[in-house]
Amino acid sequence: MAGPVGEAEAGSVRIRVDGVEYPVREDLTLLQALDGLGLLNVPEGVEIPHYCWHPHLAIDGSCRLCQVELTRPGDEQARLAIACDAKVCEGLVVDTKSEAVARAREGVMELLLANHPLDCPICDQAGECRLQDHAFDYGVAASRMREPRRAARKRVDLGPTVALDQERCILCRRCVRFCREVTGTGELGVVERGDRSAIETFPGQALDNPYSMNVADICPVGALTTKDFRFKARVWSLDEVDGICTACARGCNVSIGVARGRVQRYVARRNDAVNGSWICDEGRLSYQQIDAPDRLSSCLARDETGELCPVSLDEAVREAARRLRPLLDERGPGVVAGVASGHASNEDVRAFKTFLDVLDVDTIGLALREGAADELLVSAEKAANAAGARAVGFGPIEGLLERLRGGGLDALLVLGHDLLEGDVESPALDAAELEGLDTVIVFDTHRSPLERVAHLVFPVRHAAEKEGSYTNLDGVVQRPSRAVRPAPGVRDERDFLDRIGVALGLAGYGMDRTA
Amino acid sequence: MVIDDALRARIESEMRSFPEPRGALLGALHRVQEELGCVSSEAARELSEIFAVFPVEVLELVRFYNFFSEEPRGRHQVTVCTNLPCALVGANDLLCGIEGHLGIAVGETTPDGRIHLGREECLGACANGPMMRIGGDYHEDLDLAAACAVLDALE
Ligand code: SF4
Ligand code: SF4
Ligand code: FES
Repeated sequence: MAGPVGEAEAGSVRIRVDGVEYPVREDLTLLQALDGLGLLNVPEGVEIPHYCWHPHLAIDGSCRLCQVELTRPGDEQARLAIACDAKVCEGLVVDTKSEAVARAREGVMELLLANHPLDCPICDQAGECRLQDHAFDYGVAASRMREPRRAARKRVDLGPTVALDQERCILCRRCVRFCREVTGTGELGVVERGDRSAIETFPGQALDNPYSMNVADICPVGALTTKDFRFKARVWSLDEVDGICTACARGCNVSIGVARGRVQRYVARRNDAVNGSWICDEGRLSYQQIDAPDRLSSCLARDETGELCPVSLDEAVREAARRLRPLLDERGPGVVAGVASGHASNEDVRAFKTFLDVLDVDTIGLALREGAADELLVSAEKAANAAGARAVGFGPIEGLLERLRGGGLDALLVLGHDLLEGDVESPALDAAELEGLDTVIVFDTHRSPLERVAHLVFPVRHAAEKEGSYTNLDGVVQRPSRAVRPAPGVRDERDFLDRIGVALGLAGYGMDRTA
Repeated sequence: MVIDDALRARIESEMRSFPEPRGALLGALHRVQEELGCVSSEAARELSEIFAVFPVEVLELVRFYNFFSEEPRGRHQVTVCTNLPCALVGANDLLCGIEGHLGIAVGETTPDGRIHLGREECLGACANGPMMRIGGDYHEDLDLAAACAVLDALE
């Protein structure tokens, strides 16, 4: 396995796991090595159950579930050891299936379950709970406990985003380590001792940081739940689709949870090349925009009185051509400009660029909303595909704005409405500055103040509703799957542009496309 | 500021005698408990600043050990060990009896502020249980009458 760029390649050793030999890097622990080989707990891989170990957190060794039998060269007999903290070495022999391993796992599970409430029917984690899974796979069905189970606080309000059920907690300390190591905010700790141990915050301090909800993702049981998703859906009724967050240029990987045709949540999906195991809270909640009440669902055009009203697709396309054709014929492509958006997919910005090229429009630019960045993931550019738009030729917007303000433009084709937002502090443009234009055609997902000046609006799809690829700030091209169906009439930018191209009779559009 | 300059200076000088300054945190908690009668959340926060740790890390220690309390307790801290060896020789009955004698439950303080009663983990006096600790003193081989006599003699 190649190490991260810039890191010296460590030596390689051979280990034998359940009879199969693997070359691994010598500076790793057994779990890290198997994880690096992509073998850990995948079908046909090596199964080592674990709670406290997490690939992106420091080793804790607290749950003891990952025990396996190890024999190092020179050992007379195999011994049980925790795989998360066992360094590999040349000739290490690992047995994950022995009788002793099975008994060790069973013992750990019995102790963990001794005080665990029988909450599964009302627990949000049920169905994706590692305690449930492992109890089923490695545990014993009957409890030997005659004492009453420990009673603890069932609904602790940890902060604005997350709730804690202390009874369900198995004290793996993943959440504690996350807050100390990843966000550096250190809100959580384990107080008390023995069976009274519990996760707590300092008096008067809340779990409140821009990445707080990741603790619910990494909690292996139902102890930590996001208030956003609490009691919203049973997870086994969710379809999980591989998607990306589109709220900034990082393009963090998410699992999109879909039920009843609607997106119910995003949870972080691991991608070591993009976001590790984390996503920011703002991005996590950005799924709410998909079904927001201000989504556009129909083409809009001005009626006789000047009101923007729903029209059919054909009418809208015809109207676009009716407006553009005379402008192009009489005043030439120089009076037309195209504004791309970092929200459109690579396929859509490419289609837009081709469309503008065929029209001979060369006043083009990329409108982008900028905001705060942080050192972890959040990038200043608040769109998923700014790099992709730049790659097809959409550069800074300033030249276009200058031309507009100098009165040199009559028509504008605009993807999205970031044009009005620019930098949150100083918007690129006030919608009023577009008031004098002959023709403003907007392709957007959501309503915006652009409506005041738009003559035509085409409703486009959110990334979760379409096929397309997005290039993140590091140049990683990602192709999320479609998670939900868009409302009827909501289409891709490229689809609308194709139709308008046909209506304008442009070369390369419609029937003569193959020519 | 609840930790005054003199106490702070003592804590900081103890920090210098540890290779890892935070090794002095447990000792500092003892100083604070002795001098201020408890480790209030203000004191814990100030300690977290002195030691450059998260406040909740101080809370973890305060709540882990019986020696520390978050509010002032009675004048005398009385704790009875109830771990296994003491439990086998009647520590739980003794504790019940003391509760009755004082008219308070474990974890409470007598209304006159004289005695705070607590439960204790093993103090290493297993051969002489049941036992109780009052401040720094051990009282061993107790029965209820002997324990009550000791308690009644406290001012
Ligand atoms: S709340 Fe969850 S993540 Fe945190 S220690 Fe408990 S089980 Fe682990
Ligand atoms: S960092 Fe950016 S891409 Fe990642 S979750 Fe947050 S907003 Fe979304
Ligand atoms: S995963 Fe190894 S001890 Fe928890």
